Amino acid sequence: MRGIVAVFNELDATVEAIERLRKERVGPFTVYSPTPRHELEHALHAGPSVVRRFTLIGGLLGASFGYWVAIWTSEYWPMIVGGKPVASWVPYTIISFEMMVLVGALSTVFGMFISSRIPRVTMTVGYDPRFSDGSFGIWVEAPAEKESAVRQMLGEYGAVEVRSER
Amino acid sequence: MATTVRPVDPRRPNVASADIQLPAVRNYTQVTDEIIDTLRPTKAWFAALSVAILCFLIGALTWIYQIYMGLGVAGYNPPVMWGVYIITFVFWVGIGHAGTLISAILYLFRAGFRTTIYRAAEAMTVFAVMTAGLFPILHLGRPWKFFWLIPYPNWRLLWPQFKSPLVWDVFAILTYLTVSSTFLYIGLIPDFAALRDRETHPIRKRIFAVLSLGWRNSDREWRHFARAYLFLAAFSTPLVLSVHSVVSFDFAVSIVPGWHATIFPPYFVAGAIFSGIGMVFTIIIPLRRWFGLKHYVTINHLDAAAKLCLFTSLVVGLAYITEFWIAWYSGHEYEQTYFIERVLGKWWWAAAIMLICNMVLPLSLFVQRWRRNVVWLFTLSLFINLGMWYERFVIVIPSLSREFSPWQWTGYAPTWVDWSILLGSFGWFFMWFLLFVKQLPILAIAEIKEVLPPAQRRAHALAGDPGGGAPQKKYPEKLGRED
Repeated sequence: MRGIVAVFNELDATVEAIERLRKERVGPFTVYSPTPRHELEHALHAGPSVVRRFTLIGGLLGASFGYWVAIWTSEYWPMIVGGKPVASWVPYTIISFEMMVLVGALSTVFGMFISSRIPRVTMTVGYDPRFSDGSFGIWVEAPAEKESAVRQMLGEYGAVEVRSER
Repeated sequence: MATTVRPVDPRRPNVASADIQLPAVRNYTQVTDEIIDTLRPTKAWFAALSVAILCFLIGALTWIYQIYMGLGVAGYNPPVMWGVYIITFVFWVGIGHAGTLISAILYLFRAGFRTTIYRAAEAMTVFAVMTAGLFPILHLGRPWKFFWLIPYPNWRLLWPQFKSPLVWDVFAILTYLTVSSTFLYIGLIPDFAALRDRETHPIRKRIFAVLSLGWRNSDREWRHFARAYLFLAAFSTPLVLSVHSVVSFDFAVSIVPGWHATIFPPYFVAGAIFSGIGMVFTIIIPLRRWFGLKHYVTINHLDAAAKLCLFTSLVVGLAYITEFWIAWYSGHEYEQTYFIERVLGKWWWAAAIMLICNMVLPLSLFVQRWRRNVVWLFTLSLFINLGMWYERFVIVIPSLSREFSPWQWTGYAPTWVDWSILLGSFGWFFMWFLLFVKQLPILAIAEIKEVLPPAQRRAHALAGDPGGGAPQKKYPEKLGRED
């Protein structure tokens, strides 16, 4: 994988560079920012995150497991006390609720890991330590023949540093 | 009669919570620099940590003694078989609740003042629940059998009784501990990345690299992170309400006089959040001073949190009054006698501590000058901690010591074992907390950057960004009395 890393100090410069890159269709690119910013999200036209599906499925599984474990274990050793039902769903709702939260929360985290591709074992190319400090950045995977044009363009939009990496 | 509106003193601006700004924080790099700078250990920190470890060791050794001698060395006196341990269990679970309130519920409500205090509050939650979880185990005669409460396939073919509040407790507390530590860790991932990128020591850098899971601040990561964070907050919100409700079921599901009441779940939840906010003040006020973070946790943040404290105090006060009202309205002689005994009987002093600390003293927060007086806030927070511990004392002890038949009525006096283990719990809590504050950033680096106006080439506001480029509201550097 070869491409260009551009470091920006200003948010509006980054947004304009992103819009241009989208228009020019140079290649796939990644935007870095020390904190999430709506401006970048709007410029990227990103779709909704898929994490919500993991949350829903995890929550439903957890809730069913909570009821199931309580009802099944009660039926496994059925002992009638005071003529009350052996499996009583009212108190079991507490177990079900807690399991919904537990499994739902853990599957949300799992979904986030899967969809953002972490944990990452090695640092891939196209990163700069400044991106966690005060700078915004763009990594463009550009073919060799377009490289100099892209470098020049990013420089025009106010990148404080542009370098090629592979 | 015409209503007169007095002009607000400009030195004491009454700032709405969502509008709280950080005028003394200029850019992103300053945030990273100043927060990472707090991680350097100091002599005072080592001294404080030593005291905490010493207290913890006192508690740990006492526990070994108690295991060897049996539970009789604690102050149990039948039928008072719930004592300091259960009181302290409820106390610590309650402390945890404010952390989740600040990190999750205020996040959903978009309350701006949470940003700079939530990390400390959330760490407090995790350590408080870790402390609370020890107490039901300390309260067991054979503590090494505690895992019998967890449903797992076993050769005895036995399963827990899912209709028992104690089993609900296990599920609620373990879920709460897991979800709140997950929430804390997920929030920390971008900060681990910032620490990793700044660190020069190779071993520490490696550790932070592993902890950051290779986080790179990319758009893809932030997009899924934001969604996952929102859902975790949305899960934590009902969870925090359920946990103390379940703790209150331990009492309310029984038929002991003074416990068997439907008001218990909301009463416990309000009390928990109130006590937790008290502990947040106890922790954050010294921290902002010692770590030089007064321009992050400004007096406006404390003012907003004090309003929350006042509100929860009023809810708790209302719950106390409602309990008495229910007793009177029940027309039940024994119930009425019990509640009269609660304030005028043998334990009148405990009830007095509870009512003064939790109902009367927080009323001072109606006055803006006192909400902005840091010394008073800190003092009040200590009173709240004391008052909330005694609230649980008032719930547990008078009810058990005046149970059904007068022949079994008795007294209760905690022994040195109870007090040492209580001291040990504070040592254990502060040991973890102190270790946390010097290893990991106590203020959320990435989230504080989110509330700052970003650097722009042109001084114009970008669409949809209220802070972007627009001139920031300027408040005087010194906002009233700082401390």
